[in-house]
Amino acid sequence: MLQYVTLEIDGADIVVPRGLSVLDAAIEHGICIPHLCHVRYLSDIGSCRLCIVEHVVNGRSKITTSCTLRVQEDMVIQSNTERIRKLRRNLAELLVAHAPNSRAIQDIAVRCGVKEVRYPFRNENCVLCGRCVRVCSECAGANAIGFVGRGKNRRVDSPFGSLSEFCVECHTCIELCPMSIQPCIGYMEPGEERLCGACESQLDLADELPGHCVWCELGENFQCGRY
Amino acid sequence: MLPLRLDSILEGRRSQPHQLIEVLQDVQEQEGYISEEAMRAISNELGVPPMEVYRVASFYKAFSMQPRGKNVITMCMGTACHVRGAKLLLSQATGLLGVNSGETTDDGLFSIEQVNCLGTCALGPVVTENGACHHHMNPSKLRKLIKSIRRAGMEETSDE
Amino acid sequence: MSRDFTIKIKTVSELEAFRKRILNDLKKARVVLTLCGGTGCQASRSEAVSTAVKDELIKQGMDENVHVRVTGCHGFCEQGPLCVIEPGNTLYCNVLPDDAREIVTKTVRDGEVVERLLYTDPVSGKTIQTESEIPFYRAQDRQLLAQNRQVDPCSIEDYIAIGGYSALAKTLFEMAPKAVIREIEASCLRGRGGGGFPTGLKWAKCREAPSDEKYVICNADEGDPGAYMDRCVLEGNPHLVLEGMMIGAWAIGAREGIIYVRNEYPLAVKHTRIAVQQARDLGLLGEDILGSSWSFDVEISRGGGAFVCGESTALMASLEGKVGEPRPKDVHTVVDGLWHKPTTLNNVETWANVPSIILNGSARFASKGSNGSKGTKIFALTGHIKSTGLVEVAMGTPISKVLFDIGGGPANGIPIKAVQTGGPSGGCLPADKFYLPLDFDALAEAGSMMGSGGMVVMDEGTCMVDVAKYFLTFLQDESCGKCVPCRLGIDRMLEIITDITEGRGKSQQISLLEELGHTISQTALCGLGKTAANPVLSTLRYFRDEYEAHISKEECPAGVCEALITYEIDPEKCTYCGVCKLACPYEAIMGAKEEVHTIDLQLCQKCGICRSECKFEAVQIN
Repeated sequence: MLQYVTLEIDGADIVVPRGLSVLDAAIEHGICIPHLCHVRYLSDIGSCRLCIVEHVVNGRSKITTSCTLRVQEDMVIQSNTERIRKLRRNLAELLVAHAPNSRAIQDIAVRCGVKEVRYPFRNENCVLCGRCVRVCSECAGANAIGFVGRGKNRRVDSPFGSLSEFCVECHTCIELCPMSIQPCIGYMEPGEERLCGACESQLDLADELPGHCVWCELGENFQCGRY
Repeated sequence: MLPLRLDSILEGRRSQPHQLIEVLQDVQEQEGYISEEAMRAISNELGVPPMEVYRVASFYKAFSMQPRGKNVITMCMGTACHVRGAKLLLSQATGLLGVNSGETTDDGLFSIEQVNCLGTCALGPVVTENGACHHHMNPSKLRKLIKSIRRAGMEETSDE
Repeated sequence: MSRDFTIKIKTVSELEAFRKRILNDLKKARVVLTLCGGTGCQASRSEAVSTAVKDELIKQGMDENVHVRVTGCHGFCEQGPLCVIEPGNTLYCNVLPDDAREIVTKTVRDGEVVERLLYTDPVSGKTIQTESEIPFYRAQDRQLLAQNRQVDPCSIEDYIAIGGYSALAKTLFEMAPKAVIREIEASCLRGRGGGGFPTGLKWAKCREAPSDEKYVICNADEGDPGAYMDRCVLEGNPHLVLEGMMIGAWAIGAREGIIYVRNEYPLAVKHTRIAVQQARDLGLLGEDILGSSWSFDVEISRGGGAFVCGESTALMASLEGKVGEPRPKDVHTVVDGLWHKPTTLNNVETWANVPSIILNGSARFASKGSNGSKGTKIFALTGHIKSTGLVEVAMGTPISKVLFDIGGGPANGIPIKAVQTGGPSGGCLPADKFYLPLDFDALAEAGSMMGSGGMVVMDEGTCMVDVAKYFLTFLQDESCGKCVPCRLGIDRMLEIITDITEGRGKSQQISLLEELGHTISQTALCGLGKTAANPVLSTLRYFRDEYEAHISKEECPAGVCEALITYEIDPEKCTYCGVCKLACPYEAIMGAKEEVHTIDLQLCQKCGICRSECKFEAVQIN
């Protein structure tokens, strides 16, 4: 039998099954917590850090990722404070500066309120969210790709660097890849990168209702767990 | 190429995935590097997916997937060595040998490696040559060291 | 090296009898000659010295009643190889194999002192005969390190002779696990690995966690550059660490322990292996220890070379044979640790403090130190300082005392600008903060950290922006790369700092650096990521003017940053000796014999080798 717990997210009391992550609980109740590496049916690794929230314990708040935090009775979570919004914006800025050629990443930047990018753009084609890696091992059971190297040399690769004999060609990795969706303004050549900003109507939403899920078009693009 | 002698390393560790790092350590020590062949064998014997073996081998500094040179010159780049001029030594070695750190000279005689601290900070800057430690190094001592190794290497080849 | 013990120690009284026998044997030696064989002295060829001394003793027929003991690190590595002779407690420094004969003839046989081998005080210029009179040692409080001189790390007998394993015996037969935890809590011992978490609390939580299987782990993956106290303790006195782990294991209810040791420390690996084997042979590890019906054993695991494995969850992943990536710690490792079992992880120095707390009581331990930080702490004093080495002082000792009374002040007569504490997680403190006490809280408040105890001294010739860049390069190399703030954030900080050191910096980048630093410290996944911005943030806090000089004047005040300087040979000072020409790896120095040398600025890579090689100070920085 399912057991339920009651917790507070952004002032609202919500009741969800035990064992759920705070992120899933929030999304289920229409509370928008931006996220990238999280996919509902895959394990959570807490690597993109976008879904950070403040977990208030005994009056002291601790910042942690909501995807890796399990719901507990009487838990108090704040997902949309000034502090969180600023940190999330800075993280989204790092991501979009690194890999601007993705509608998913561009939309995350919009949703997180990024208005300018203070770093030189790079035109990388991977943000190491690890969606492909996890789906390959957890769903396809193939272990055909994985993270290799460490630090700035970390990359997704197949065993021994050659196209994997283990690949079952299910293509789920490509389906889940945020980099596989081109920005609305089309592919940007090196030197042309910018914040897309094509969806200005969505920009207002992000400003006015940052913590509420309004079924924005953005969510569909950044493969938000609600869609 | 010599056939891999992994049996003694794998003894008592077969089908124990958690022994992966220990096994790789021993292979690195014995063979000087970790070949694809070795990784495939280890994957089979320990019951770890090849992806995981490759991943672990690429993650840790101790493992090299290419053969290293006959002489490995390791420069300690720890903080204490850094403030006492480790950068000079690295420039001297890379300049003199014409390869970057992590690379091997064309004649296979030297590899330059960097390590982030050897724990002999009081004696810095420190350079090791095939594990033997040279302390209070300076560029001219390093030049002499490299030259003497090179000379020894040449004598060896001319003897053959 | 491991020897076959025919006897097993099965009870406490057998342990005492064994101890008595060893002490009697030791009394037979008329002279005890202690040679340091730590990694530092070994690098100075101490092995050749010990062979020479032993040969000489045999030659002179004195090997019977002279006991030669090769020990772990004494801490004064700069002066190594070190040799101490008792009676008389005479200390010889920088001993060479050729000195063996004179030492044996004069000191061992005739009881005379070999003046030329004594330590010369750099301040007074006078020679000093004994360790305790040398300022470097005199101002220390060597609770842990002093034992290194008394034991051969490869001899469990030596350790037992100085009272080893009696704390274990006391634990097993006189104290309930809860009493052990209470004692540790009362001592206020805090983790020596960096975080300073109260050890007793950690043990208590781990004991409460429900599980049949629990683990204790000793973290000897000392990855902090500039710190080597754990190496020294484990390599010099492995049984002390082992005994501490056994007491901890008994307190929390673990039956298995693991020592995770850096493979870059071959001697520590070797000595630990020998120690574990000897303890097993004697029956101090294994089933039914000392007849208590309690069983415990220890395994040794070699690290693969990753700084991030110093983080507890990464270390545990590594022990499970995986890559050392930290995982979120929403549930602490004392509940969900190695193999998802409750696990107590402490570092070498923390474990090493345990036996004496149990044996001598928490009150004695807590009588040393400052308010929030009790006991003594070992620091690795390195960099631009006269006496480098390991320094053990009571917590709360002012930084200045360590730098000037123990370290003897700056090495090259150039004033000290800063001291870096806490390694890549710590920060740089300026000279006007040297009054601060060395304790967890005071250092954290000042924007640095105790860390594992590295203290790298930097003089005025050091560029603080370059130091920040150094740490970022280190962290970029050592970050596991899993989370965005640490991977991309450090990368961007390094990009900005590189711009600054190469004269492309803009003033608004300073505030961006600060904002980014705070973002990383609040959002990174693991403890190491959270502290990764400290070297930048602390240098920005105390040495902002240096950053500003790089940006607005395109000038490196210390003359370090390559892009902002040029080298030039002063024709007045050049003696045409040709040393610089020979040394330059880029063939950028021109000039025939008997001709003033010049530097070709096109070819010059600004490595600075010519300047360091020139004995006439003719190479200058512009």
